[in-house]
Amino acid sequence: MKDRASVVIIGAGVIGTGIAYNLAKLGMTDVVLVEQKRYSYGSTGRCGGGIRQQWTTEENIRLAKASVERFERMNEELGIDIGFIQGGYLIPAFTEQEVRDYRKNMALQNSLGVPTEYMSSEEIKELLPMLNTEKMMGATFCPTDGHANPFAVTEGYAKNAKEMGVDMELFTTVRGIDVVDGAVRCVKTDRGDIETKFVVNSAGPYSPLIGSMAGLEMPNKPYRHEILATERFKHFLDTMIISFHHGLYFSQTTRGEIVGGIGNPSEKPGYNLSSSLDFAVRMASALIDFLPQFKNVNVVRQWAGFYDVTPDAKPILGEVDGLQGFIQANGYSGHGFMLAPIVTELMAELIVNGKTSVPIESMNMRRFKSRNMVQEANVVG
Amino acid sequence: MSENDIGTSRIDRHPILEFHRRKELTIYYHGRPILAYEGETVASALYAAGVRTFSYSPGLDRPRGLFCAIGKCASCVMNIDGISNVRSCITPVRNGMIVEEQKGAGTFPETTVGDYETASPELEADMVIIGGGPAGLSAALEAADLGMSVLLLDENHQLGGQLIKQTHRFFGSKEHDAGVRGVTIAKSMIEKVEASDKVSVLLGTTAFGYYPGGVIAAVKENKQLVKITGKRVLLATGAAENSLAFENNDLPGVYGAGAAQTLMNVYGVKPGDEVLMVGSGNVGVIVSYQLMQAGVRIKAIVEAMPKIGAYFVHAAKIRRFGVPIYVGHSIKRAFGNGKVEGATIVKLDDKWQPVPGTEFDVKCDVICLSVGLHPSYELMAQAGCAIKFIPELSGHVAVHNRNLETTVPGIYVAGDSSGVEEASIAMMEGKVAAISAAFSLGKPVGEKRKEADQMLEHTQKQLESLRDGPFGARGRNGKRKSFELYEQLTGARV
Repeated sequence: MKDRASVVIIGAGVIGTGIAYNLAKLGMTDVVLVEQKRYSYGSTGRCGGGIRQQWTTEENIRLAKASVERFERMNEELGIDIGFIQGGYLIPAFTEQEVRDYRKNMALQNSLGVPTEYMSSEEIKELLPMLNTEKMMGATFCPTDGHANPFAVTEGYAKNAKEMGVDMELFTTVRGIDVVDGAVRCVKTDRGDIETKFVVNSAGPYSPLIGSMAGLEMPNKPYRHEILATERFKHFLDTMIISFHHGLYFSQTTRGEIVGGIGNPSEKPGYNLSSSLDFAVRMASALIDFLPQFKNVNVVRQWAGFYDVTPDAKPILGEVDGLQGFIQANGYSGHGFMLAPIVTELMAELIVNGKTSVPIESMNMRRFKSRNMVQEANVVG
Repeated sequence: MSENDIGTSRIDRHPILEFHRRKELTIYYHGRPILAYEGETVASALYAAGVRTFSYSPGLDRPRGLFCAIGKCASCVMNIDGISNVRSCITPVRNGMIVEEQKGAGTFPETTVGDYETASPELEADMVIIGGGPAGLSAALEAADLGMSVLLLDENHQLGGQLIKQTHRFFGSKEHDAGVRGVTIAKSMIEKVEASDKVSVLLGTTAFGYYPGGVIAAVKENKQLVKITGKRVLLATGAAENSLAFENNDLPGVYGAGAAQTLMNVYGVKPGDEVLMVGSGNVGVIVSYQLMQAGVRIKAIVEAMPKIGAYFVHAAKIRRFGVPIYVGHSIKRAFGNGKVEGATIVKLDDKWQPVPGTEFDVKCDVICLSVGLHPSYELMAQAGCAIKFIPELSGHVAVHNRNLETTVPGIYVAGDSSGVEEASIAMMEGKVAAISAAFSLGKPVGEKRKEADQMLEHTQKQLESLRDGPFGARGRNGKRKSFELYEQLTGARV
């Protein structure tokens, strides 16, 4: 392992590998990525793979739209099939209030160039005849939303970054970060120390622990989210269905499994990754409510991952005030995968050029001190 | 519908077994009525009627037949009554059933089929046992005898596991049923379990998860969730057959040896007319002999090792009938149009490499693979037990101590799922697990405790003696590794 590098990235999820890839693309290859387990282990490999632009805050909509444009050409760029299915996201409304809110969100999304449309319950039935639309009052639908395979995207980033010269040090645990005169100096691992001027904290749910090694108190907290996969079926479902009303989402992967999850409002923050029977039962009942044929379908796997949740459900991006060279790229609050293509590009620009082509100042960690926050509302669970 | 031969291969006369066929039913295979008997599976009824192809592979659209015939693989999944991905080998026939080949991945159901129960019963027992084979049955009887309430689950519709197809006489000491046929031992244990007021049995019930708080979730008859809490849990889930890499190893007609045994000894259906057996261990040789008893011709036995693996008496029986046994040979490929019509055999050199120019063909309609089994350890892994690959135990197992307890306190393993050995050992391990579990709950007390102490010591000694000698070396070494790993991982000395 190198004992010195221009940049040390912590975490080999889609964010860490994406930043490694984009740094290399900008010519910065003196980079070491350290990961305590393996690619996609922490959050990326546990996520539902959804990619949507139907957000309620301008920053998230802009970032998501830019990401979708990058997902669209990613197969070619990374030379790997990322399993991108652009079958749209359907967000049904179950109350008058939801109809009003979703229409308002749609107007904001449309104003930023996202082609969200409104559907009556009859139109939903036309799009998805199998769906139980009985209680749906309408829905918003964005045809360019979709989902992709998080493992494939991470692998694609990692493979290309490696080919360009980035060192990937898997099964390497960060033990400490040396800070001298308000600037990062060295990352200490169980396999040796690496002197550096830049540390990227892309450790997802574990990023508060990495932050604390540099003396930072971070506002994000890990929340367990559970998810399951059914047996495989021939492709029949293009659309990702997401109900904020139920805290539920599901879609069909390119392999043919239905993958979905449901939030648990009483979940407490903490590093608990166990799977619960309660989730399996709630999810199964909810799926049957949406699509009654699910009662004849077997679940083959369930697992859990973390949402790395910030107080306003928006990511923490950029250099930390008073801690030169410490770059935050975490706090995605459950939507890191879908924002990864654009965010990792901007983080690489920040490190290489000292500035970003799209402003991300409003996502800096300093916003939590000033209490100048705008809450993102469209979050599951 | 595929080009399957139509005919019947029901066995009517057998030197050891009697097949009492129950009520006649009709199932429909691509519209064609097929005779079936109550109590048999969809796969056995179809097989008896000449169906060899059950599904087509998702990637390359290759025909697939049976492979394991006990629900451990996905070779025979079919569309049954509009539902895809149904394992036809463990699905009992029902009158009027509509059965179709499955092409590739399943089809999402067009409509809902049947009902499901929304209520989930919550059951409790001192000891919950998953798997009603020799280990599970023996543990259930012992646990009941020691005063524990027992709940025994099996995903099949009958108890006995693989013991109900063992028509040969067992070895070992007289006390442990030496000279008695496996089927007879199974029958006697099942009768005792059914008569016991301490043991409740749930058949057709698949345990699918062990959840925090010690709750075992199971699904009954594919339509009801059952939540089970056991003070102690025994996972006796058995083993699954290994395959072997050779050209066309997925051709219908290439079966695990156990599948052939299941067809003929449980359902009275002849697997074929001419069989090539790959592997000359005890299973390969015993199943060959049983196939001959069912009127099937054994064309040859091939064995990669330089000598026969089975006990001498078993091999001698086969030799007496003039069956050629090719040691130092392996199967190179299977061939046939949509199903097995023959196999190419090749000699191996001392580095296990095929010797060019030594190939020869054997005509046959069934190729039985008897190349070992691997423990079914999935539930243990899901429950959080430390899992290690121990070659001498034939694969991944939950690390366990001499009392058969895993690294998750209160969860025990026994039988093939803790390391592939044989049925007598499985039964003894079931006993050891049950006694150890009882002791950990403070049962029994007084005089009965002293007896149980002696029984435990006695059974442990018998296990040691069964693993003594060259045939027991694998098991002996594998178990030693497991016990040592248990000490390393838990810091405990047992």
